[in-house]
Amino acid sequence: MIQLNISDIQHFSVGDGPGIRTTVFLKGCNLRCPWCHNPETISRDTVTLTYPKANKSVTYGRLMTVDEIVREVMEDADFYRQSGGGVTVSGGEPLLQAEAVAELAKALQNQGVSVLLDTAGCVPWSRFEAVLPYVDTVFFDWKTSHPTVMKERIGGDLPLIKSNLARLLQTAKETHIRIPLIPNVNTSEEALTAIATDLREVGAKTVALLPFHRLAVGKYEAMGIPYPYRDTPPLPADALRRAVEILSKNFTVYTEK
Amino acid sequence: MLHPNTELLKQELRTPPAGTYAPHIFRAEGLTAHPDAPHGIRRAYSIASLFAAPKPHIYKGDTVVGSIRPLWTDATPEESQAAAEACTGFGIRGFHHNGDHYAPDYHTILTEGIPGMLSRIEASMEAHKDEADRVEFLESGRIALLGLRDRLAAYAKAAEALTGAEGYHSETLCQIKKNCKALCDRAPVSFPEALQLVWMIHNCFVCEGRYAMALGRMDQFLYPFFAHDTEVGTLTEDEATALLENVFMKIYERRAYLGGDDVVNIAVGGVKPDGSDATNRLSFCILRAVGNINLPGPNLSARIAPTTPEDFLDECLKVIGTGLGYPALMNDEVNIAALSRYGYAIEDARNYSMVGCIENFITGMQPPWSDGRFDTPRFLEYVFNNGKGYFHPSAGLDTGPVESITSMDILMERLETQLKAGVKEYVDGFNRVNVLPDPENYTSPFLSLFCKDCIGRGLDINMGGAVYPSVHGAALMGVGTLCDSLAAIEQVVFTDRIATISELAAALKANFEGYEPLRETLLAAPKYGNNNDFVDKYAVWFVDFLSDEFMKYHTPDGGGYYTAMAANVSNIYAGHVIGATPDGRRAGEPLSDAASPTYGRDTRGATATVLSVTKPDYTKVACGTVINQKYSPSMFEDGRREKLRALIRVYFAKGGQEMQINATSTEVLKDAMDHPEKYPELVVRVSGFSAIYITLAREVQMDILARTQQE
Repeated sequence: MIQLNISDIQHFSVGDGPGIRTTVFLKGCNLRCPWCHNPETISRDTVTLTYPKANKSVTYGRLMTVDEIVREVMEDADFYRQSGGGVTVSGGEPLLQAEAVAELAKALQNQGVSVLLDTAGCVPWSRFEAVLPYVDTVFFDWKTSHPTVMKERIGGDLPLIKSNLARLLQTAKETHIRIPLIPNVNTSEEALTAIATDLREVGAKTVALLPFHRLAVGKYEAMGIPYPYRDTPPLPADALRRAVEILSKNFTVYTEK
Repeated sequence: MLHPNTELLKQELRTPPAGTYAPHIFRAEGLTAHPDAPHGIRRAYSIASLFAAPKPHIYKGDTVVGSIRPLWTDATPEESQAAAEACTGFGIRGFHHNGDHYAPDYHTILTEGIPGMLSRIEASMEAHKDEADRVEFLESGRIALLGLRDRLAAYAKAAEALTGAEGYHSETLCQIKKNCKALCDRAPVSFPEALQLVWMIHNCFVCEGRYAMALGRMDQFLYPFFAHDTEVGTLTEDEATALLENVFMKIYERRAYLGGDDVVNIAVGGVKPDGSDATNRLSFCILRAVGNINLPGPNLSARIAPTTPEDFLDECLKVIGTGLGYPALMNDEVNIAALSRYGYAIEDARNYSMVGCIENFITGMQPPWSDGRFDTPRFLEYVFNNGKGYFHPSAGLDTGPVESITSMDILMERLETQLKAGVKEYVDGFNRVNVLPDPENYTSPFLSLFCKDCIGRGLDINMGGAVYPSVHGAALMGVGTLCDSLAAIEQVVFTDRIATISELAAALKANFEGYEPLRETLLAAPKYGNNNDFVDKYAVWFVDFLSDEFMKYHTPDGGGYYTAMAANVSNIYAGHVIGATPDGRRAGEPLSDAASPTYGRDTRGATATVLSVTKPDYTKVACGTVINQKYSPSMFEDGRREKLRALIRVYFAKGGQEMQINATSTEVLKDAMDHPEKYPELVVRVSGFSAIYITLAREVQMDILARTQQE
């Protein structure tokens, strides 16, 4: 039986797509965004977070079969039906386990549960092809249009990501492009204009903005590793306003919290 | 936004009255004026003078009048002492004697008015003319009712006298005068008149010293007036909301001047007696008015039926999201089904409202409510300790040495034996106390007027006048603690066999000192609230067994024993005297709260909590349950509220009975502990009643903080 390397399964997720959802966070990521707010998912290995004040520690990382995951997420089937929700597969980068994710999504689709894939898109297109038939919606992260920033600070391949998004938008699959607004990475006018150019080229119509917050500080402390963004305040309101202004010239813009 | 009048009233309530609170001075007037009348009649005169003798107080912000402020007097200690002596023998019934916690029948007096009620009393006197005691009781009701009429007349006069006084609006005073005067002579014909009549009656109950008097289904009995006025154009919805605000603000008067935590329950929504949906535009106005007031006191309950419109549930969540914690959301279907087990006519069950915190009550048809606490984990202690508490004084049965418990079945059998004896002891104790006041000398002539069918029968509310007998609620405490304990025993002792039952008993006795590894193992066993049948089955058993057991008993006048799963903060105090429990809880720590899982142990998210807590059959819990849930304020924003609505709908469809939601962030609560001066009006809802957070003991504040923040 095929297994998935799971970081955590979060019930009653309300920020990861429509309705009430269960989010399956997968372990392992091929990018290294320095602002990452799910640092426990980056490594494929188990990671233990220790909270001395709460006298508690939590370990992330376990193998689960598709059946086991389906059984757990189907507990909430009534909530999905009532709210128009479903299951979100996130990470980490879920498409690093594309074959297993496809099995999971197929099993859920068979049970009438809507599946949402949350990806950063830096994988061969074949991984998308394996999963897309069983997925209703895709959340596609767009972090930067600066090739050097992408390569050196994030460790990603911009041309590959761009070509994947272009192909994805040509399918009929419902796709939401989500831009995390990170100070000193992509909030300057120049950076946003470059993003707008790229996204226009691939045929995007709508973008969602996710302003930076530093709520992950506690996770880094609990992992005992430094957080480069620990002293960066939340994105100021005027920076968000400017970003909305710039991107609104070409796209319908939403802001998420 | 508060209406300017209500804002003004709020400011005025900040200045407490001068002098001494001395209602007995006004009671004494009626008693001394009629020294030779029979006891019940003298009592009626004391009530009438209590209502009508104090000089009315009208606030500058008042649009509806009726205040307890005149009960403060500048009488000398000697005068006060003399009045108190005159009142000897005329005490009033307390909570355990069906004295308060009541939802009056307001519908009848709104329909017939004071004159109509007087004629009905006279007709009944005629019908019972050969039964002297009934005629006397009816005469006492008549006297008390005339006291209400005189009070209205006095307020009309006072409004007239104040015309031109600084800070008062002549137009408002004129309206007050007209309303009060009209109500002396006829039934109300407009919404302001109807609301004035209801408030004046309620205010009379407060003057009498009764607590937790509900206003009940205001959106039903006031609706015909509201509908008429808005249709003909003499009233807008905003004007109705402003009038309601004025009334709700005055509920706070008692807390402001006398302290305490009086709660006045108001039920909105639900179904009508015929089963059709009852939500109307007035339901929305009441929600908004309570939201605008944002003070504890008006304890708002929203009855949610499958037919309840989505926009009404949404409006409820908006009000909750202001941080107020109101309204409590009640599952209409479950409550009606639960009440129906007690033999009420279906239309009466459907017309229920709540008294006090959440207690289901057959509106205006039974004597006032009473309840008590039944803490369950101590019975497990008796099983482990030969019928004795580790350090609390009470005792159960000796069901044998703990080492002879060789299976879960034997343990459950002994626990049930203990519980059965405990239920009987509880019932015997209450039934003894309940009948202590001699009915003849503790009549309630005014209260009885608002209970069917006291006038028709010519009998007091506590002497057979009420259509249905009195009921009593036993609040079962510690479901989470007990279920987690039983699951831990099953897992650790009888399944994994990591410890023997004797070792466990020794660990409990030692409060886990020297047994830390065993405690860790017990803590790791499945916990209630995570949708795990291994432990949830004990919650199902808990409700079935205890409710069935209580249902076998009756109150002294033949009414039912209800169970409840709600206990305000009693779970904290009950925990103080209970030793360590097998779930890993240390001696003295709080028991689990109400019907909720133990704090912090429902770790799989709100959906799993809902799936667990809907497993028991709450149609056996006629008084009601409380499930406390806390969500961060963002859950109440547009786009998120619909998800919360979906959660609630599923919760109710699966048979959940009640949900009480707090919307305050942990950060705010922590900050308020250290900087109370910054949060003078921060309201939290603690399992059934609302309180100003900074007034709570630090321990209770910590408890609120510890509740799992779902999201």
